[in-house]
Amino acid sequence: MTEQKTPNRRDFVKGAATGAIGGTLLGMGAYSYSPLAYSRMSKVARQQADFGACRSVKVTSISETSWFNNAHLVGDIHAAGGLLVDQYSINWAPFGNGKGVAQGSYKDGIDSIKKMIPGDLEEAWATQQKLALHPDNAGGYSCLIEVEDLDGTKHKYLLDAGWSYDWMDQSFKREAIDQMLASGEIEALILSHEHFDHFWGFPVVMKYNNKIPTYAHDGFYEEGMQYIKDSGYEGDLKVIDKELTPIRPGMMAIKFNVPIITRVYGEVSLAFNIKDKGLVLISGCNHQGILQMTSTAYQKLKYDNDRFYGVYGGLHISPFEDWDPKYDDLVISLGKWDFERVGCNHCTGHLTAKKFIEAGYPVVKGTARFRTSSPDYLGNGDTITF
Amino acid sequence: MQVDNQAVSYLESRKLVKRWSGPWPAVVNTLLIFGFFYATWWIFQDPRGIMRMYTPYVGYMVCRWLLILFIWLAYIFDFWPFKRTWLNSAHPLLKGVVLTAVSVAAMLLLIKGFFIEILGNFGIAYFNPDRLMAMGLTDFYSIEYAAEAVMMFAAIASWLSPSWVVACENAPWQKLTQPTRGITIVIVTFFLSMIVYLLTMHSHMAILFYPWQQYTAITPPYWEGFANTVSGNFHIAWIMCCTVVVWVYESIWQRYPFNLIQTDWLRRTSSFFGIILVALCMCFFLYYAQDLVWGEAIRGTRREMAPDWRWLHVGETAIFWLVGVLYLSFYGGNWPTKFSRPVNVLLRTLISLAIGAAVYIIYYKTAHLFLGTQKGFSHPQQFPMIPTIWLINIFLINMWFMDGWPGWKAVPKTAEELQETRNEVVASDVRWTPSLGKGLLAGAAAGAAVYFAVITVLPWIGETVTIVK
Ligand SMILES: [Fe+2]
Ligand SMILES: [Fe+2]
Repeated sequence: MTEQKTPNRRDFVKGAATGAIGGTLLGMGAYSYSPLAYSRMSKVARQQADFGACRSVKVTSISETSWFNNAHLVGDIHAAGGLLVDQYSINWAPFGNGKGVAQGSYKDGIDSIKKMIPGDLEEAWATQQKLALHPDNAGGYSCLIEVEDLDGTKHKYLLDAGWSYDWMDQSFKREAIDQMLASGEIEALILSHEHFDHFWGFPVVMKYNNKIPTYAHDGFYEEGMQYIKDSGYEGDLKVIDKELTPIRPGMMAIKFNVPIITRVYGEVSLAFNIKDKGLVLISGCNHQGILQMTSTAYQKLKYDNDRFYGVYGGLHISPFEDWDPKYDDLVISLGKWDFERVGCNHCTGHLTAKKFIEAGYPVVKGTARFRTSSPDYLGNGDTITF
Repeated sequence: MQVDNQAVSYLESRKLVKRWSGPWPAVVNTLLIFGFFYATWWIFQDPRGIMRMYTPYVGYMVCRWLLILFIWLAYIFDFWPFKRTWLNSAHPLLKGVVLTAVSVAAMLLLIKGFFIEILGNFGIAYFNPDRLMAMGLTDFYSIEYAAEAVMMFAAIASWLSPSWVVACENAPWQKLTQPTRGITIVIVTFFLSMIVYLLTMHSHMAILFYPWQQYTAITPPYWEGFANTVSGNFHIAWIMCCTVVVWVYESIWQRYPFNLIQTDWLRRTSSFFGIILVALCMCFFLYYAQDLVWGEAIRGTRREMAPDWRWLHVGETAIFWLVGVLYLSFYGGNWPTKFSRPVNVLLRTLISLAIGAAVYIIYYKTAHLFLGTQKGFSHPQQFPMIPTIWLINIFLINMWFMDGWPGWKAVPKTAEELQETRNEVVASDVRWTPSLGKGLLAGAAAGAAVYFAVITVLPWIGETVTIVK
């Protein structure tokens, strides 16, 4: 009896062990990527937070040219060890120390200029010009946002502080931002993320108003937070730690948690609900991806006509004029969202802008002044009103 | 000369025995390997280290091609031109240094000599960074693009080359002596890799340039609709799964179940295509699993929401499993071995999955703290395949070139043990009986139930478990 049973049981176990792997694999292969598998996925219900509305939004591109020579910028990154290298160590101004590529540090840099910021930026930048790599390649990204309330009153915000002290000071003066800051007309500074070209010009804002309410992503690294202090900031720093932070009726900050090149973490972008028109999205670099942003807005926000109306800013697609097939995925898919006006610049990439135009998207062209290199971009000194 | 032409390959001819009893060999080797891993990572790859090849594509290309060269040297050339007497008598450290150095030299020759100089100058421009630079691309991206193309070739070869040994049993050239056999199989698999490359990656490379190179490549690529992306990452997904399954099949599965097929040609073809089928099952599951955890991918987005990244991550996840598989097989003595083969295989599969999952979680929780990589799953420069393959390369140096030194040493197998090795290639330990059939059915039902349980739990895991803050 047992002699019979034991081999039977052993065979059964052998079969069962084999079958278990086979059955699992069969499920994995036959079901996983099938339409049936997707039909059972629950569609997430839209949450559509009501954040009010505004009448219009006008954006002035103070500077979208973050750097002037792509080969120098990419060359420095390359020499420093690639796109993951900590931005504070590359040896770019204002954190240069004269020791050459990848040998810089926040501490060395700030020690060389601490006494001069924000009071004497010319001196600080001149000091750094001797210590840093390609200091004249630095530009910056910054724009002025004017929100018109439904009752007609206007409110000004500054998105980002740019990079080069010299270039940003010039650009601020060109657009009278210096006066608006000094008079307190600009109600807040929003730092989209910690990148050199959006944030390192912070002392230039401080020069004119070191108490301006400032918003920053909670993913800023220690050096970034220290830089805010070391630049003489004495205002109310609002660290954005929630996904949605209302700024005023019709204006919402959306926080994205994404790791970004040169060791930066997270970006904050802005959404506006324009009465009777729809949603407008404004970003610094849009490192989260423009369609990630539209999807989040679609899921989380309520806006007029349930329609995407416009977009402005760096869309971080091919900032170094590099390319990847996934960017084509974006170019192909953007049409689905049916924006009425696309104002792109900065890290969008000229090639991307060109492909947008070829795809027939409503790209609002610029005037290519003040060192902006192509009219496909909304360039320095250009404005767009949504 | 005839010492190099034995019927049994060097790796099959030796048995690795522990030098000390208990867990000490595994502990010591693990510590040494991690030390060596970290030191070499710092020297060659780390973006904060000395050579900083993790740009990432240059480092990616190097670690993949090293893997191929190791496979060629150990598996395909059976260590030719090194003599069996030398392999048997030289100190493991010396062997490790010499064999690694030979592989590195061959790799440099191949990358620089063949891909860049020959292919890149007389065939396809994008293999040569200098040509890209001359056409106006920045030097950084010129090198990255060329490295990406060269790297992709290695990814394909890392599946096909070992497949020819493991699945096809070197047929029809198994009787040739070395180096004829090695050269033949390298040429054949290289040729097949070239075809697969043209069918899977050439279009990806062609749309890197403006305008799409439509006269020389199919654009948009034919997989666009199915894969929901124009990116060649779709192919990386299944090809990496194939690479992993080859080694799963060879190591922890001990070539089960296809080794039960007694007819040579049928066994070889079923293994070859069986590996692909298993890989496809894995590939589709891993993609679907991500959709369940993170929500359905949205085309045109970036990072973890984008289909192209999800496909890439399929391959990355598979490689994490391979780390578990090889660790169990090399340093865990392929435990367990005491049950029948099917039961051993099932248990090892589960154990290696657990190790792979643990490495995955630890990697994403901590890698940015010590590897110089970025935090998060999907940073565009986050390529976990680089450190994992780097680690696997070190496993291979240790086990193939150094006989597991210092924890293990090689002794020749006895005639009986050699017979056992042969029994693994063509086995008869599992035979058809009605009980086996019942077991199969019951097991398959249980397996399917497990699958559906897993996909039911995954969305919940996505909502409650956070690996990367
Ligand atoms: Fe930027
Ligand atoms: Fe940025």
